[in-house]
Amino acid sequence: MNKPRILVVEDDADIRRFVRIALEKEGMIISEAETAEDARIDSACRRPELTIVDLGLPDGDGKAFIRELRTWSNIPVVVLSAREREEEKVEALDAGADDYLTKPFGIPELLARVRAQLRRAAFLNPDQPASPVIRFGNVRMDMATHEVTKGDEVVHLTPIEFRLLAALARGHGKVLTHRQLLLEVWGPGYVLRPHYLRVYMVNLRQKLEEDPTRPKHIITELQVGYRLAF
Amino acid sequence: MHYFDPPNLVALFVLNVVVISLRLGRVAAIWSALLSVASFDFFFIPPLLSFAMSDTQYLFSFALILVVAWVTSAVGSRLRADARIARAGERREAAVARVARDLSGAHNSAQIVAICRETIAPLFEAKVALILPDSTDSLLPPKDGEFADLSVAQWTYSHSQRAGLGTSILSAAKALYLPLKAPIRCRGVLAIQPQHQTSLDRPDDNRLLEACCSSIALALERIHFAGIAQETLVRIEGERMRNSLLSAVSHDLRTPLTAIRGLAETLEVTDLPQNERTEVASAIRHQAEDLQQLVTNLLDLARMQSAGVRLNKEWHPLDEIVGSALSRLGPALAKREVRTELPIDLPLLEVDASLFERVLINLLDNALKYTPPDAKILIRAKAVGPSMYCFVEDNGPGLPPGDPEQFFKPFVRGKKESAISGAGLGLALCRSIIGAHGGTIRAEAAQPAGTRFEIRVPLGSPPGIEKEDAA
Repeated sequence: MNKPRILVVEDDADIRRFVRIALEKEGMIISEAETAEDARIDSACRRPELTIVDLGLPDGDGKAFIRELRTWSNIPVVVLSAREREEEKVEALDAGADDYLTKPFGIPELLARVRAQLRRAAFLNPDQPASPVIRFGNVRMDMATHEVTKGDEVVHLTPIEFRLLAALARGHGKVLTHRQLLLEVWGPGYVLRPHYLRVYMVNLRQKLEEDPTRPKHIITELQVGYRLAF
Repeated sequence: MHYFDPPNLVALFVLNVVVISLRLGRVAAIWSALLSVASFDFFFIPPLLSFAMSDTQYLFSFALILVVAWVTSAVGSRLRADARIARAGERREAAVARVARDLSGAHNSAQIVAICRETIAPLFEAKVALILPDSTDSLLPPKDGEFADLSVAQWTYSHSQRAGLGTSILSAAKALYLPLKAPIRCRGVLAIQPQHQTSLDRPDDNRLLEACCSSIALALERIHFAGIAQETLVRIEGERMRNSLLSAVSHDLRTPLTAIRGLAETLEVTDLPQNERTEVASAIRHQAEDLQQLVTNLLDLARMQSAGVRLNKEWHPLDEIVGSALSRLGPALAKREVRTELPIDLPLLEVDASLFERVLINLLDNALKYTPPDAKILIRAKAVGPSMYCFVEDNGPGLPPGDPEQFFKPFVRGKKESAISGAGLGLALCRSIIGAHGGTIRAEAAQPAGTRFEIRVPLGSPPGIEKEDAA
């Protein structure tokens, strides 16, 4: 397997440094950009397989860069953002980012997210034909027959619950914002009713998780959205 | 007939006329005088039973009766008028006194508006609107004074002169606009539109109106300065709070910073064996994590205390927030036994999820820091009546002695200068967050041992969810 190329867009040199050291140790090839302008040039000529973008860049908005990148590329984008800015994360995810890390973040967290996104990219551009069966934990869902089993037992999901789980599964580890899920499962009329989503998520967790208050797969990103962890 | 000489009879008739004229006014007096003269002439003056007169001296008696009637009726009507004026004055004085008394008890401008509507409007049989300026000195449209014309009111306000109906300025306006002049400045405008065309023209009405206006102006000015005094108090309190915050935080910030710097320099200059290097590095990481917790609490507390904090309230299931808090504490909690008892049918809760999560994180973090590693932690919740109760309990050594309320004040810790990091900000932040949600938080001893924190938040009425058609 060839080494994945990663672009790190971050204006703070020390953060760039530790991110580079950590990822290089994992056998990845790192290129660094300090500004959105550098990032544009770098992403176009080096064609990285994953980009890590800080949202506060000296010459402009990380979100604008993501939107521009999304016009021609579907490589995974992981966003770095400060804690208080939930709306900013949501905007970045709606603009096309796939996951986010909240500053300050640790190296294990960073590596986990980067690996998950690389796996996801490999899954989305597969070498062999796609299978209708998705597995996470001991749950197996068949997208073709709408059959969901947990261990050996069949789990009965309502149509909306199934659509919701399917939307999460298609994201394949991507953080889906409330807006994206409401739009996909319920339709445009429900975008401002996030409590629908939350109530159905509670039901899904009751049916699929061992301990619903400490979920292992249906992960809540509070105030932002949801993610299916495999 | 022989017992009554005509002069006595005349006196009787005069008495009659005097009584009638005092009682019933001039017209009745004249009529009674004429009737008396006629009947006297008819019944008592010879020749009897005829209006003819044999003696001209009776003409003089008739004239006298008429004069008496005229004079007494004039005196009587003046007396009656005086009495009426006195009564009206009394009523007005009572009205002004009532207005002044009501206004002196008013604490805010809404109360003054209500007094204008309830007391002053009926007094003048008029519609009344109190028009007050905003902070930029432009008048705001009054709530129930659609009749008032703001442009006329603004003129009155900026010139401190009355305008509108019955004045020489903008007299086409349908209402009269009076400036509310207080000792320091004009405080607003009173618009008054009489229900009858002329009712404000009388001079004493005008005086009464002036008296009411100056009472209102004084009340407005009093409220204005009371507000300023209150703000100043709050500012002084905030200043004191900030100072104590700074002095306490500077200690708690410097300690981990000193450790981090020292440890990092150790790594830089000394030639440590690899296993010790790893230990030093992990100590740096621990200090940084504590620092992060402290800074987060500090920023949240500052945010909660800044004016006009806006909660991002939405309807959340509690177990989602509990789950998020547990996963955020992840590694620290991994070695502990943590149980959750959240009923499946728990109603949704309208809260700011990040802040509510912060409350749970702080309570769990406290439980981690202040209990031995084998102590158990339990999170449970129940809905009772209009409130949701959420408990975070442990079976550790329990609270230090003293009133548990003290731990909710910023910078009070169970143990002074304890080696355990944290500035005693956590519980103060919890209290201010829960308070902002209209709830309460308190600490008590758990049975048989340990500590229990009880959070109570109002439930409100959760939005409905359309039932999905059965599959």
